[in-house]
Amino acid sequence: MLPADCSRRLVAELQGALDACAQRQLQLEQSLRVCRRLLQAWEPTGTWAWEPPPEPETNEEDPLPACIPSPQDLKELEFLTQALEKAVRVRRRITKAGERNKAPSLKSGSFVTSPGTTASTPPQPPGQAGGHASGTRPTKGLRQTTVPAKGRSERWLPSGQDRTRVGIGARAPRPGAGLRNQHMAPSAAPQAPEAFTLKEKGHLLRLPAAFRKAASQNLSPSSSAGITVSLCGSWGAPRVHPRLWVQLSSMQTSDSMDAAAAKTQFLQNMQTASGGSQPRFSAAEVEAEARRLRKACSLLRLRVRKELSAAPVDWMQEYRCLLTLEGLQAMVGQCLQRLQELRAAVAEQPPLPCPVGRPPKASLSCGGGAEPTWSPQLLVYSSTQELQTLAALKLRVAVLDQQIHLEKVLLEEEMGVQQRSAALRRT
Amino acid sequence: MRRRRVDPAAGARAGTLPEAIAALSRSLPSGPSPEIFRRAKFDRPDATSALWQLLFRVLSPLPAGSALASIALDVQARLVKSALCSQGYPRLALAQLPEDGSQGSRELLLALSWLLARGPVPEQMLARTRVPLGDEMTVCQCEALASLGPPAPHVETEGPVDVRHVQWLMGKLRFRWRQLVSSQQEQCALLSKIHLYTHGCHSDQSLGHLSVTEAEMLRDPEGGQQVSGAGAAQNLDLAYPKGLHFCTPGMGPRTFWNDLWLVCEQPGLLPGDWAAPLDPGGASACSLLFPLRVLLRTLEQENRRLEAVLAWRRTELVFWRWMDTVLGTCAPEAPAAASQPTFLPWVPECGDGELELVVRELQTLEEELREAAERRRVAWEAKARGCGRGPEWSATRRASRETVEKELGALQRCWEQDSGPAQAHGPHRLVRREDGAAGDRDLRAAELIRTLRSQEACLEAMLRQLQGQCRQELARLAGAVPGLIWIPPPGR
Repeated sequence: MLPADCSRRLVAELQGALDACAQRQLQLEQSLRVCRRLLQAWEPTGTWAWEPPPEPETNEEDPLPACIPSPQDLKELEFLTQALEKAVRVRRRITKAGERNKAPSLKSGSFVTSPGTTASTPPQPPGQAGGHASGTRPTKGLRQTTVPAKGRSERWLPSGQDRTRVGIGARAPRPGAGLRNQHMAPSAAPQAPEAFTLKEKGHLLRLPAAFRKAASQNLSPSSSAGITVSLCGSWGAPRVHPRLWVQLSSMQTSDSMDAAAAKTQFLQNMQTASGGSQPRFSAAEVEAEARRLRKACSLLRLRVRKELSAAPVDWMQEYRCLLTLEGLQAMVGQCLQRLQELRAAVAEQPPLPCPVGRPPKASLSCGGGAEPTWSPQLLVYSSTQELQTLAALKLRVAVLDQQIHLEKVLLEEEMGVQQRSAALRRT
Repeated sequence: MRRRRVDPAAGARAGTLPEAIAALSRSLPSGPSPEIFRRAKFDRPDATSALWQLLFRVLSPLPAGSALASIALDVQARLVKSALCSQGYPRLALAQLPEDGSQGSRELLLALSWLLARGPVPEQMLARTRVPLGDEMTVCQCEALASLGPPAPHVETEGPVDVRHVQWLMGKLRFRWRQLVSSQQEQCALLSKIHLYTHGCHSDQSLGHLSVTEAEMLRDPEGGQQVSGAGAAQNLDLAYPKGLHFCTPGMGPRTFWNDLWLVCEQPGLLPGDWAAPLDPGGASACSLLFPLRVLLRTLEQENRRLEAVLAWRRTELVFWRWMDTVLGTCAPEAPAAASQPTFLPWVPECGDGELELVVRELQTLEEELREAAERRRVAWEAKARGCGRGPEWSATRRASRETVEKELGALQRCWEQDSGPAQAHGPHRLVRREDGAAGDRDLRAAELIRTLRSQEACLEAMLRQLQGQCRQELARLAGAVPGLIWIPPPGR
């Protein structure tokens, strides 16, 4: 049986570690759910963000679902609806032959010009009324939104046989926009042709333009320079301030000397004008120093092991070995002295406690002297294997850290027990 | 607002004070209006509560969320005081301020400026609530397995604990580690697939493929198919959202912040929370799956704040000059007798046991070294007497000395500079590239793997050593303490 007080801390630590693992497991599982769902066939949810790959003549409007279709759009909508219905009728005649047509999908412009063009024919369950959304699979270049005002949620699904951008010869510029605010003629339930899977068509996805703009302002290298972006009125005039985070970083490094000097001056003034006693160690600083000395200890120990186990071949090596050992001895002495000083200072003036383990400043820089970089850099990996190895190693190191911590707790508690029993024996 | 024109001699970065303060208030989350700053200079009471709240936001490690605002002002004030005290804030007047927000705005203004002068506060706050668009992984090991939030309520063990219980807990922990490993492997595989399949469609050429957040946004722009329960972070560390810098494992008893967390009932983890966040920055810290609209709004807000921060950096010189005048209007404080502040609600462990451990280790090491060095010195002297003396002898000796000094100096730098400059901090966005090509500032997975392996080896050595020490202590205990029977756990 372990003494009660010793075990309590150990058990508390173990429980803490268990909780941390459980939380992380939970998050991992949720993340896994999301990833698995992404890799399965995507269910139609109502809106789909297809974007045409950047083309000079394409107007990259970004009508959010809230945009009301203009009268011209509605007119074209009608046009297209009729054309699509006709196309569906034609297609059904074709599919009755039992073939699955793998022809390239309809060009959007061709709806108007050639209703007879064969379109991709996803399998249609029998008995579906005309005017299916499915029959009018536009190319992936179209953005489909549901118009909430109509109170219906037509689902537009991308065709199973979409190819990369088919030549859009007779494509009128506006139908692209018009189809965006498409609302299909009243029809039956939405079609479910071949579903969209990331595996097959992931490379065709495009991010919405507004998002691209905001993200490029934020972070990524300015790739939007060549694209004229025009947004819906609610988003205001576009301004391109590329890489704001990067600007911030560069500003950090070339900080104005004046401002820095002014700050130091202000801090000094604060100190002199204040009644507080000499700044004493905060718990964070104590911890940092202790960490450094611990690291020193382990590094020294490793080195000592190495030196002691090395077998010098000649007198020069032997000399060097001797010098190293003596040097190490001096360093150990120094560390010990620092440690004793630290303990004395801590005992005399209890360090200021921290509400959290570390104050925000230290936590961001992780106790290191490195300048925090604000914009996230890239971590490049080249294969699944590599990523898995990396993640596994990271986890292993974290687990080792936890194990070491637990061992330390155990050791401390044991020593505490020993001290107490020694004290008891003395009395 | 008094307009002070800094003379052109001050440099190209001169600006007016109102501009600087306006930029500052825009750059801080829900920052107070510039008027508050002016009132605070004159110690007007109506500026006090706004400043308390701002300080609380700055100092609190919790993510901003609607729940935080519901904490009573006096609680906030108390927390601010203790946080500032722990950072070594010099002014005593702050500790004596009443907590109801009735006075003391000038002191609070000074406190805010103190924090601003010590560190890049607006940037840090921005980084805390940054919208991570990519799949991220942090490189440094700080808080890798730190505990989030409060520990689940456990029955406090009273009385002696059966060692088998400890063993059982240990086994459970090992099992959970294994589970984590396998889940994480799967997660990596899926992530890699997603990156592979979406290759070629990102507008940003350097990225090349979508991240899970982006793909999810495309799949479900309305966010209608949200996973029930907490949002899923696409951070491979998955240990914590930004801003939740909780205690490292082993802080033992709950800290005040943990209790606060309980009070707030884990804001941001409810599915409905992100739908209409009062502060999208807060929601994003916890749930990274947004409907498109919300994500865009958050991004835009972040961009605006970034611009404000940049403007602040350009004009802050004026602000510091002004703050000097504010400080001047305060009477200098009389040095008070050093006393421990009494408003702390808890007694934290300051790790004296930790230091004790290190002392012991170093002492044993010192002993060992002393013996070994003495022995070798004697042997060497004996040998050296036998060899001849000559000029080249002393030259070689000097050369050896210098080499050794250099080596030892390098060794010392290893722990003096906590981590080498090569060790980057913070999250990195994962990017998959077949050729593995990376820019200057980018990290390569292969290099990281190397670093981690050496770290692993180091830690394993340390663990083994500690385990040996533990066994020794146990042996000593078993001999020293009568009546103690220790059954060592199997396989340890």
